[in-house]
Amino acid sequence: MGSLEEVQCLEGHTDRVWQVAWAPSGDMLASCGGDRTVRIWRRQPTSSQQPAEQPQTPQQAEQQPAEQQHQRQQQQQQEDRWVCSAILEDTHSRTIRSVCWSPTGRFLATASFDRTTAIWQHQGGVWENVALLEGHESEVKEVAWNPNGCLIATCSRDKTVWLWEAQPGNEYEVVDVKHGHSQDVKCVRWHPQGEVLASASYDDSIKLWVDEDDEWVCAQTLAGPGVGHTSTVWELAFDAEGRRMVSCSDDGTLKIWACRKDAGRGQLRWQLLSTLTGYHGRTVFTVDWSKEGLIASGCADNAIRIFGEATADSAAAMDAEAVAAAADAAAAEPGLRGLFMQQQPQQQSCDSGGSSSEGGPFCLLCKREQAHPLDVNCVRWHPTDPGLLASAGDDCCVRLWRWHPPPA
Amino acid sequence: MELINPAPKLYERKTTRRKRVEQPVDGGEQREPIDALEVFEHIRDIVDPEHPYTLEQLNVVTEEQVEVDDVAGTVQVRFTPTVEHCSMATLIGLCIRVKLLRALPPRFKTDILLTPGSHASEAAVNKQLADKERVAAALENPNLLQMVDRCLRGAA
Repeated sequence: MGSLEEVQCLEGHTDRVWQVAWAPSGDMLASCGGDRTVRIWRRQPTSSQQPAEQPQTPQQAEQQPAEQQHQRQQQQQQEDRWVCSAILEDTHSRTIRSVCWSPTGRFLATASFDRTTAIWQHQGGVWENVALLEGHESEVKEVAWNPNGCLIATCSRDKTVWLWEAQPGNEYEVVDVKHGHSQDVKCVRWHPQGEVLASASYDDSIKLWVDEDDEWVCAQTLAGPGVGHTSTVWELAFDAEGRRMVSCSDDGTLKIWACRKDAGRGQLRWQLLSTLTGYHGRTVFTVDWSKEGLIASGCADNAIRIFGEATADSAAAMDAEAVAAAADAAAAEPGLRGLFMQQQPQQQSCDSGGSSSEGGPFCLLCKREQAHPLDVNCVRWHPTDPGLLASAGDDCCVRLWRWHPPPA
Repeated sequence: MELINPAPKLYERKTTRRKRVEQPVDGGEQREPIDALEVFEHIRDIVDPEHPYTLEQLNVVTEEQVEVDDVAGTVQVRFTPTVEHCSMATLIGLCIRVKLLRALPPRFKTDILLTPGSHASEAAVNKQLADKERVAAALENPNLLQMVDRCLRGAA
């Protein structure tokens, strides 16, 4: 098994932290939550914190006691520290549920329970609120910028998904309002190539929206017995190539979906590849897929879990561990929620539903218990530093983690 | 406003007694575990949204319907509306949830559920009460919060 080492706890929020988002360049992290603020955390390289120790001649180094040299070496191995560089406040009157960077990193969008989405511009070291997107009838749950930065998608408890187009002069025009979900829409996420928008809902379904002659239409709904989730879908994430998608739910499962070309009409269709059952003790609020292929999940049982694709060699060994872990998880929930007990962890814990072209089975590589002392609301992999993970929790904290893979 | 249940059946406020044997405290450092009675004490005097009676007097909550596992940090409360079409069921559940949010240590994972078969929209109400995002949003709604606080005033 691999491990997650906590490298820093970022304190400052005074209420539940709902979401974190890395700037595309990776040098900043934004967090938002129930205290109605956004905090911007900036990387402060360890070397710059210790300027006095940098320039040294070999003679000086020789004169130092061995202990001090050892300390210095340790510091060089230390992670960069992250410090709060800005607090964005006084714009939203209620919880800020979601925060998203524009692809260039110049803008930040924030979605709030106050029904609005705000756009912030970063210029000359100052953050300024430059636009307010109004229209949703109730809480805005998430905001997502498309990969080329021209479109913003928002979703709300009012059951709709809105698409906004960026115009010159920080104007945003509504280009489409999508009805289709029968309940709150919890999450919107763009495909990495930007041609597909996925939405996840309290109605237990995932919908995939595509642009057809200037109108966004629902190309597919992932739901139903034996296929879809059996309770609220909280979040989803695409893999780096956009060929697969992972979703997480109140039903305690993760589902992996794969995109296949329909033989008859040549259309792209998403199909259920596997269901990871028996690992999570309560609602899974968040899921993210790293560029290196690792899936991280955050759960209401306070744990962060890391899943990876097993190679053929390691699959058998992993399977034994995964089944044991899944059985433990099931045993720890004696009848609390019958849902989990009906399913057979052994059957799906290390799923073998995928063909080789779609990757191997997914196995639990790490379960970090009590990652936060309360619910884990968000997990996000760093965009450029492999193995650096940020999480947000009900404990008002943002935590940074370093992934250590299992020994080869 | 027309009452949903104009003449609810009333029950006596029970005298409750701790069933567990009091453990001798070693050095005064030991924490007393939270039990079902303690959780029940927090919620029994919540006032019904439409009657001047407590949830206990209306038999909406009982000590037997509270399950606590102090070590695992879980609490489950089942409640029974007086009529199965009670439109106040979500509000009652929200009151119980809010009271326990305020009264219990945050480490407790609380599930508030309808008694099976007690309500026409059982699954929908249960799902709503379990959705912490909806609960958080509801508590930012001043009107709703005022209604909840009015019901909780009796259960100080």
